[in-house]
Formats: sequence, C-alpha cells, structure tokens
Amino acid sequence: MPPRPVEKHVHPRGIFSRFKGNLEAIAIGVKYFFDPKRSTLIYPKEYIKLREGYRGFIVLVKNKCISCSSCARICPAAAMKMVKVPVTDPKTGKQRIKKFPVINYNRCIFCGYCVDVCPTEALYHVPYHDIVYESMEEAVTDLESFQKEPEYKTAKEGLPVRYIVDEVKGLVKIRVKKEGGEKK
Amino acid sequence: MSGIVRGTVGFNDLKLPGAWTRKIGKDLYEVFIGPQHPGSGHMRIIIRVDGDIIVEAEPDMGYVHRTMEKLSEVRTWIKSIPLFERMAIHDACNVTLPYVRAVEKLLGIEAPERAKYLRVLLCEINRIAAFLYGFGIFGVFLGHSTMYMWPFGDREVWVELAEWLTGARLTHTYPVFGGVRRDVPAGFTDALRKAIRYMRRRLEDYRKIFVDNPVIRSRLEGVGYIPRNLAIELGITGPNLRASGVKYDVRMNHPYEVYDQLDFEIPVFQEGDAYARVLQRVEEIKQSLRILEQVADWLDKHERSPILHDRFWKTAPPLYKKVFQEQGRAKLMAVYAILKVPKGKAYERGETARGEISYYVESDGKNTPYRVRIHSASARNALVYKYILPGHRVMDLPAIYGSIDYFPPEADR
Repeated sequence: MPPRPVEKHVHPRGIFSRFKGNLEAIAIGVKYFFDPKRSTLIYPKEYIKLREGYRGFIVLVKNKCISCSSCARICPAAAMKMVKVPVTDPKTGKQRIKKFPVINYNRCIFCGYCVDVCPTEALYHVPYHDIVYESMEEAVTDLESFQKEPEYKTAKEGLPVRYIVDEVKGLVKIRVKKEGGEKK
Repeated sequence: MSGIVRGTVGFNDLKLPGAWTRKIGKDLYEVFIGPQHPGSGHMRIIIRVDGDIIVEAEPDMGYVHRTMEKLSEVRTWIKSIPLFERMAIHDACNVTLPYVRAVEKLLGIEAPERAKYLRVLLCEINRIAAFLYGFGIFGVFLGHSTMYMWPFGDREVWVELAEWLTGARLTHTYPVFGGVRRDVPAGFTDALRKAIRYMRRRLEDYRKIFVDNPVIRSRLEGVGYIPRNLAIELGITGPNLRASGVKYDVRMNHPYEVYDQLDFEIPVFQEGDAYARVLQRVEEIKQSLRILEQVADWLDKHERSPILHDRFWKTAPPLYKKVFQEQGRAKLMAVYAILKVPKGKAYERGETARGEISYYVESDGKNTPYRVRIHSASARNALVYKYILPGHRVMDLPAIYGSIDYFPPEADR
C-alpha cells in the first residue's frame, strides 16, 4: 500500500487541559527523579568496546599487499599515499622497487573506502578510535608504524563496557570481556 | 509613513497575524542575532525592533559555506559521497542518496532490492535521529532543558544502531553507486524492534513533558504562523510545508527506492504555526517507526543476497564473496576509484528530515563530474524568517527559529 496523506489537526485545549497538562508534566518529572534513566560513561575508567566492523584506525598487512595503489586512488581525503621501498624478489632474488601505502591520520576521515577497495584484504580496521597523538608529525605513519596496531592506552586502564538497546531503558550499559564476547 | 502597513511583500490581500508591522524608521533598533550566538547556529538574523516588536528581519546566511559544489568538480565520482555527507552529518544517508541515485541514473543501473531496503532502513534511522536532534535544540531554545537532554539521549539509540549497521556513528558513507556497503549484522533487526518499541514509549513521555505542557503550548500556539500560500510561494519544504497544510512529500509524490511499496501515512497539519510544526515532527517520527518495522520484517524474511548491482558484483573475486558471506561487507571493486560516468544530465530528489533535497548532476564522460548543483532543504526554509518574524516579539524568535529546524551547514553547503 503506497504512502498516502492524512489530514491532522491540533487538538484544542479543554477546560481542564492546563491543570491536567501541568500535573502530567510534574508526574513524569517525579517518575524519572526516582527511576532515572542514566547511561553515562565514566570515560577513562570505562570505555566502550566497539563492535567488530567498526571503522577505526587502519592497519596494513604488508605481505598481503600487492601494491595496486587502489587505496591511495580512492581515498577521498588524500590521506593515503604510496611510498617506494626497495625489496628483494623472493623468486629471482633481484632487488626491485615496490610501493606500499602509508596513512596520514591528520587527514583521514575514516570512511573505510581503502579497506573495502583492497583486493587482497591487506588493510583492516581496528575497532577503536580514541587515540591521542601528541604532535601532528606523530599522526603521519611510516611503513613500520602502519603495520602495527596503534597502542590502545584506554583499554589498559579502563573497564570495557557496551551499550545495548533495551525496550524500557533505551540504552543499557553492560560489562563485557576484554577479549571476545559479552560477560553476564 | 504612519499607520499600519503590511510587512510582507506580495501578499497584500492576506491578513497574516505575523505580517502586520508598524513601519517607523526613526525609533528602530537593529539587533544582530548571531553568527556566534548559541541560539542561532552559524547564521545571523538581523532584526530591527520597535520596542520589543520585530519590524524587519533579514536572515544572513553563508557563514559555513564550504564550496562543496566546486570541490566536487575536482574529485572522482565516489569521493563526493563523503563530501556531501558533511552537509548534515546526522542525516547522512538522506542527504547523499539523491546524488548516488542521480549517478546511478547516468550509469543506467539500479540497486538490487535488498540494497534498496537497506537504504530505506538507514534513511529512516537518520530521519528519526535528525528529528530528535531538532527537538533537543528546540527544547534548549525554549529554556526547557529536560527536552534538551531527553531527545539527545534517545538519539543515541539510533546513532548506536546506525553505527552497528555501517561502522561509523555519523558519517556513514553507506550508499554507493549500485548498492550499499554493508548488509545487516546478525541480531540487528531484534535490536531495531526493541528500539522502535522504546521510542513509542518515549514519545508518550515527550507528549507529557513537552508537547502537551501548557507552558510550551502557550509559547508556541499561534506563533510563527506560515499560511498555506506563503509556504507554497516561498518554496519551503519538508515538515514545515506539511504543517501548513500542503500534501507534499517526495516519498509520496516522487517515490524512490521502495517507499511506494511500504505502508505509511504522510501526516499533514492545517494550522501552520510553531505548535503544528512540533506535532508534525512527532507524527513523522511515528510514521518512520512504522516504516522501520516493515523493513525489519522484510529483512528477516529474506536471505542475504548481493547488495551491489550485477555490473559491479559479477566481477567480484571469490575473496569478495567470502568476505560478504562472513562479515556482510560488500567490498568495492577497483573500478569505483576510476569510474567514468557516461555523458548526460540527471536530476534526482529525496526527502531529508528537513525537507526536499535535489541534485542536478552533469557528466561529460570523464572521471569527475562536470557540474553538481545541490539545492538543500534548509536553504529553502531559511527564507521564511524574513516573512514570518515581523510582528512578533523578540521573545518569540527562538521559538520560531527552533520550530523551523533550520540547519546552517546544510543550507550553506
């Protein structure tokens, strides 16, 4: 059944609507005063353990990379660049130049195009996002640091939690395990 | 000039309550509201007041102009999707979808059915989140800080769902040419149904504390009245237009994706004042929840099937198919980076949370667009301040500004 327009009208105020409206508003305020719906994250002590598939920081698996440059070509923010590295060919043993991607996190917008366009799954997202760089130079990775998962300091200090959707409370904070699945 | 003259130009035979102004040139004060004022967003409204009554108002836009149309001309086709998203990041799917559809029209392809349902899914999640965002801003304008906290808290539910589906909280970059990027994860539709039931419960709470609150009613009723013909003449769109009694919604008049197969209503209010616009948005949230329910049912009934058009998906190597089956991630083909779109012109429109957005896309056969013209909803709605503010007190300005749900970054592009 296709969408159809339905005419509606503002309901007029009744005689007691002012009284009733005030009473209802106060009642709902009192209700949530005694039964609050809090979902505050105590941030450094707790942190959200994001789901697999979250588009966080990007890591290169160097031996899967075939140097096709697709990631650098599709990057909308020109954050990914190819660098030339001399490698030894394992079959012939000759020296040749091969290109590998590096990323500049000052520019990256975490759209995930590079990960999705990579034909050999040589790039992957880590499911975390809160990393502080002390200088802008630090946020520009070189080939070595692009292969390592960035250090997640929050996870060392805090407790992992996750928000799940609940019918009554909206978002409910639950504790999860540091590795793997949900904790009861 | 002495006596009473009408402030609005061109509507001489209308007796608009808001359009009666006293033109007294001498004793006017000019008040600049914005562009840094927390109540105005990144825009300025120059008002001239006589005592406490606004006599003239001039919306002054353009503080967050980012030359998006020009930037898109130097980027390849797919790179413009994350760019256009920045118009309204909490409404990302709605804003980019017409662009994607226009390019699909030029390519001569159409998304598979499952992808269409997924697009509608994210569009409606975004729509609800954007309405709640608008409610929050509106609440804080009126000094109702509970209504600021509650919708922002509940919006988090929808942002959480969108994050689960797409992998990013706000800038989803979800639709691409010929489909979408991810399939629904396991357990998503159950969480979605819970969120729908939760939202229905919460709308009842909102009614009690905000919508039916006598204080709010007194501040909004009869304020910022937009008559039907003024709304049509100015070309305002979206919930603001429908609250003035015009039956126009792109989802109904020019259905796209699968909106013509879904069962939902387009609420149309007749009153046209700020209060009607609040109720309009509440009703639209209810209808969006209804759409989401149907989409969840459809997704449960149907097995996972390719979500990219065959033109792209038939070239997918086995690894791509494996990733799609295991993780639900449709990997992009290398051709997306260097896509050349055939010569032609296309025009597409879509319904965002704030109204109609339209894209005119012209290609000259290269890997970048020749021209992309965007006409966004907020740019059309911003005009209305000039015509409805005169005659109101300065106190009413936040109420009117909030009820229009104007979003500067979307208007300025």
